[in-house]
Amino acid sequence: MIEIRDVSKWYGHFQVLTKINEEVKQGQTVVVCGPSGSGKSTLLRCINGLEPFQKGEIIVDGVSVGDPSTNLYKLRTEIGMVFQRFELYPHMTALQNITLAPMKVRNKSKKEAEDKAMELLRRVGIPEKVHEYPANLSGGQQQRVAIARSLAMEPKIMMFDEPTSALDPEMIKEVLDVMVDLSKGGMTMIVVTHEMGFAREVADEIIFMDEGKIIERGTDISFFKNPKNPRTKDFLDKILL
Amino acid sequence: MFDAVAKNISYLLGGYWITVKLTMFALAGGISLGILVGLGRISRKKWVYYPVTFYVNLIRNIPLILVIFWFYFVMPIIVGSPMDPFPSAVISFIIFEATYFGEILRAGYQSVSKGQIDAGYSTGLTYIQTTRYILIPIALRRMLPSMITQSIVTYQDTCLAFVIGLPEFVRRTTIVDNLEVRSIQLFGFVAILFLITCYISSAVSRRFEVKRERGY
Repeated sequence: MIEIRDVSKWYGHFQVLTKINEEVKQGQTVVVCGPSGSGKSTLLRCINGLEPFQKGEIIVDGVSVGDPSTNLYKLRTEIGMVFQRFELYPHMTALQNITLAPMKVRNKSKKEAEDKAMELLRRVGIPEKVHEYPANLSGGQQQRVAIARSLAMEPKIMMFDEPTSALDPEMIKEVLDVMVDLSKGGMTMIVVTHEMGFAREVADEIIFMDEGKIIERGTDISFFKNPKNPRTKDFLDKILL
Repeated sequence: MFDAVAKNISYLLGGYWITVKLTMFALAGGISLGILVGLGRISRKKWVYYPVTFYVNLIRNIPLILVIFWFYFVMPIIVGSPMDPFPSAVISFIIFEATYFGEILRAGYQSVSKGQIDAGYSTGLTYIQTTRYILIPIALRRMLPSMITQSIVTYQDTCLAFVIGLPEFVRRTTIVDNLEVRSIQLFGFVAILFLITCYISSAVSRRFEVKRERGY
């Protein structure tokens, strides 16, 4: 579903990604972890073309992201993205946030888009918040609306960029539960997170990034029990306490 | 009580009409040019950004009265023929107000989080759709109170056009006062009219402020 081959990226002279290779198969969930500034978010933003990269190739569902002739707008309809700071549109209700893209991009009727939005809000557990503005929602609720907004486009892939890092501890679980359900439901997912409980439960592969490189990868057991790289061990010690 | 006002009411209100007309032209032109100035200030093209920034910094650091003055006296030298006070005042105000409106627009644009724009893109919205449905509505809501405030300031500042002999409201009141010698009632009338009109406008502005606090 996603193939990343030898991808390198620079900001000016500063190299943020160095020869990244990774493959995500349909239905798999890949967890990406690593210290801040290690290039995790940048990698996600390269996959849906929000940022360009200079070397290598990313193929999403058979389409080359780096190819100048690729219609990135069309590509992005197949890749949902959830952000650390939710990024709901503050001037729209939860319902309007969710129905905007299906109506404008997929040309769905208002009725059709709203029915789908209600179904998604029920799925993320907050159907009663349908007419609330983001400012009146808790962080966890906002993030669940944001997930519903991405799902409304019926994407083939979902990417999560530290979806629980800006949340209070008691709200983390409600968001993770939604993500676990998605993963178990067969969604192809790339999740940047430090929630190792989540990784243990659903990750098919965990990759550890540092200074723009993937320095360790493994299925959950091998990754946690005997990390080969001292940086990984150090990092895991810190986040797992 | 208002005998001198009553006696000269049509002459005074004629002046007020000139003030209103000047305000309308200044706002229409100032906001239109201000949109271009605002776009210039967020442009990544250096040959756009630097000249526009220079213009904004230059004009914003000169008192308005001098802009009006200079334009009126310098333009005839450049163009070769003298200009009427009214068009001269209109152009001075447009040049001056565009810098302020431009900065309000720039600030409004920059207040929209990059993440909200990215969120739009990530659902497949195009550049035009993202601008139309996300960027502009959010920026407009945040800018509106400042835009209204600046419009009220412009309205009040139009009095300064008296320095080039434009017979607007204050200028005509001065002329009437020279004949009638009723300064307190005449300028009291001017003050009351400004007070009422400005108060109504700022009440409208406050309604938008309240809306913004709700999280817009």
